[in-house]
Amino acid sequence: MNFEFTKEEKEFQEEVCEFIKKESTPEMLKETEDQGEIFGGPEGRKIIKKIAAKGWLTPTWPKEYGGLDASEVVSYMIREEMGYNGLPFGFVAAHMSGPTIIRFGSEEMKKAWLPRISSGEVEFALGYTEPQAGSDLSALKLRAEDKGDHFLLNGNKLFNTSCHIADYHWLAVRTDFDVPKPYKGISMMIVDLKSPGITISPLITMAGWRTNEVVYEDVRVPKENLVGEVNKGFYYLMAALDFERMFPLGIFRRLFDEIVAYAKETIIDGKPLSKKPLIRQKLAQLSIEIEVTRLLYYQLAHILDKGGIPNYQSSMEKTFATELTQRITNVGMDILGLYGQLKEDSKWAQLKGKVERYYLTSVVQTIVAGTSEIQRNIIAQRGLGLPR
Amino acid sequence: MDYDFNEEQELLKNAAKGFLSKECKPLFVREMEEDTKGITDELWQKMAELGWMGLMFPEQCGGVGGSYLDLIVLLTEMGYSCLPGPFFSTVVLAGTTIMESENEEMKQKLLPEIAEGKMFVTLALTETTAGYSPDMISVKAQKDGNDFIINGTKLFVPDAHIANQIICVARTKEGEKKEDGITLFLVDANSKGIEVTSLKTFAGDKMGEVVFNNVNVSNTNVLGEIDKGWSIIKKVLQKASIGKCAEMVGGGQRALELVLEQATEREQFGVKVGSFQAVQHHCANILTYLDTSRLMTRQAAWRISEGLPCEREVSMTKAWVSDSCRNLIALSHQSVGGTGFMEEHDLQLYFRRTKAAGVYFGDADYHREIVADAIGL
Repeated sequence: MNFEFTKEEKEFQEEVCEFIKKESTPEMLKETEDQGEIFGGPEGRKIIKKIAAKGWLTPTWPKEYGGLDASEVVSYMIREEMGYNGLPFGFVAAHMSGPTIIRFGSEEMKKAWLPRISSGEVEFALGYTEPQAGSDLSALKLRAEDKGDHFLLNGNKLFNTSCHIADYHWLAVRTDFDVPKPYKGISMMIVDLKSPGITISPLITMAGWRTNEVVYEDVRVPKENLVGEVNKGFYYLMAALDFERMFPLGIFRRLFDEIVAYAKETIIDGKPLSKKPLIRQKLAQLSIEIEVTRLLYYQLAHILDKGGIPNYQSSMEKTFATELTQRITNVGMDILGLYGQLKEDSKWAQLKGKVERYYLTSVVQTIVAGTSEIQRNIIAQRGLGLPR
Repeated sequence: MDYDFNEEQELLKNAAKGFLSKECKPLFVREMEEDTKGITDELWQKMAELGWMGLMFPEQCGGVGGSYLDLIVLLTEMGYSCLPGPFFSTVVLAGTTIMESENEEMKQKLLPEIAEGKMFVTLALTETTAGYSPDMISVKAQKDGNDFIINGTKLFVPDAHIANQIICVARTKEGEKKEDGITLFLVDANSKGIEVTSLKTFAGDKMGEVVFNNVNVSNTNVLGEIDKGWSIIKKVLQKASIGKCAEMVGGGQRALELVLEQATEREQFGVKVGSFQAVQHHCANILTYLDTSRLMTRQAAWRISEGLPCEREVSMTKAWVSDSCRNLIALSHQSVGGTGFMEEHDLQLYFRRTKAAGVYFGDADYHREIVADAIGL
């Protein structure tokens, strides 16, 4: 048993933090925040290429594909630190598509894509959700017809967030239209987002971020862009979730630290807020829950490093961590009181308006990548064997 | 990082589970709640023969030489089976106090007797203020030549009714700093001037009021240094807090099993109740409370066992586990339904014990305040 990083891991953690701090620019931090921590903007690309050059974007990948053959613990730690230090930490190509290609892709596909992904040269956008296919992804309809030397795509995607800044669409499509079990007719493919026939329209969220509606009209996709086998896409997609479903709390942990500092520095009625019993209780409780999240988070890495596959544990970590983001921001809003509502560019704004901004963004965390309700179904059904 | 117990610990866990499932059935647990002694000699001797009492004592003191982490394995299983009796008071509280006192003579004298199951010892710490801070120690030990005279009342003393020896935490000096001036005395329970009155507790465990009325104790019976006893008690409280967490985790595991029995067997509206999402989400929350409590307990126990700084982690864990396991049991009752409210259903055993363990050695509020200090508030 051991719940701490090794000496080497700690040194590595320091190296990562120092590098990030040295390379970070105000422009990059602003861009990352404005876009909702996704990767693909010009400033983000600059720094991520430097991170990738050190092998830190895909540390667990084999060296031949641009990785370091490092442990999952190291990989999880890097992601956590990237989040804490304000870098983009939501990667589709490096964290979802790449591992799927490694597991299920052909040799040609690996050679064609993995080096470009691990170097930070390309980013994918997740292409799963459709208007009628949210929690029930198997209901997706976007048609991909086999036209001999290519697929012809027609249909709509909704809430496909990175499409306006990413290079390629990691797209789940329907290739069998009559199967009795809808999930058996789904395939995965990589689509150039600049292909003729693709229209990307913005949808603006309450947090100010952009997400997208994407319309496919007679879009031609080369056959070699099919991932693995045809009609096996749902399986790949689910396997990817088993391996990759996790939520690094870092960015909200940073916010918590800033709220703690605010409570210590802010004097009300002649004494710091941090000396008020109720505030102490609330902040102590959050710090406990952050510690709980740390254990759940690295448990996933531990399971993977042992050669296992996290099962319900990933759903548990995702749910616990994302629900905690809402408690952190809510306590932050309460502690800031009337100041909490002031936006970044307002006179008298505190903590650069960060608390209200994160308060808004936290709403979606328990919805994206599987709602808390879907996660609880998984915990009950896969973790405890209750009936589906 | 390695979250797992080692092979020996897994063996110990399975052996304990097997033994307790035979020797400590729910009916026996209920009988011992009513029993004045609260334990049978037979079971106590069997546990001693298994080496449980001496598990973490050094070999030269008749022990097994195991670690605190090993003890946590055992306590988890004891919580699972609601083991009655004075194991916690004699081994975890008194045993730890004696070990931490680093008094070789006392260790040689007492630990082998405890290990063999021949002696019950308890720790008389709390008083009518019912708290765990040093300023709450007011029972006085006045120097009288080579002896001390103890006066005052100790409350919530576990298993005082059967203890052969009582470790009394007494004030020997009034000073500026409240943790100074506290001394630990080993007192023969049959000493003149000691009066024990049993309290009736809702969890069925045995606690007593111990009144010290001019009780004479020799200075050779001091554990640790005079006036410096609180540093020992601080360590004992850490180990005891996490020990209670382990019991709650074990109990939580059993509660979850009871819920799953009901969810997979009982039908309503023509289907198993466990197929309803409302019930499934309760179950998912129960498992989350349980897993997180287990992880926190393991981490804190590991840190204690390794001698690493652990004040923050111990209080985080006691706060989290006390709250979570209470919530876990509440959801269990809601999931099992009316059957679970019946005396004959075992869930009520865990309901009572979990609350008692939650307030023992400081409830969540108390420990959150320590965490607040630890994170610099």
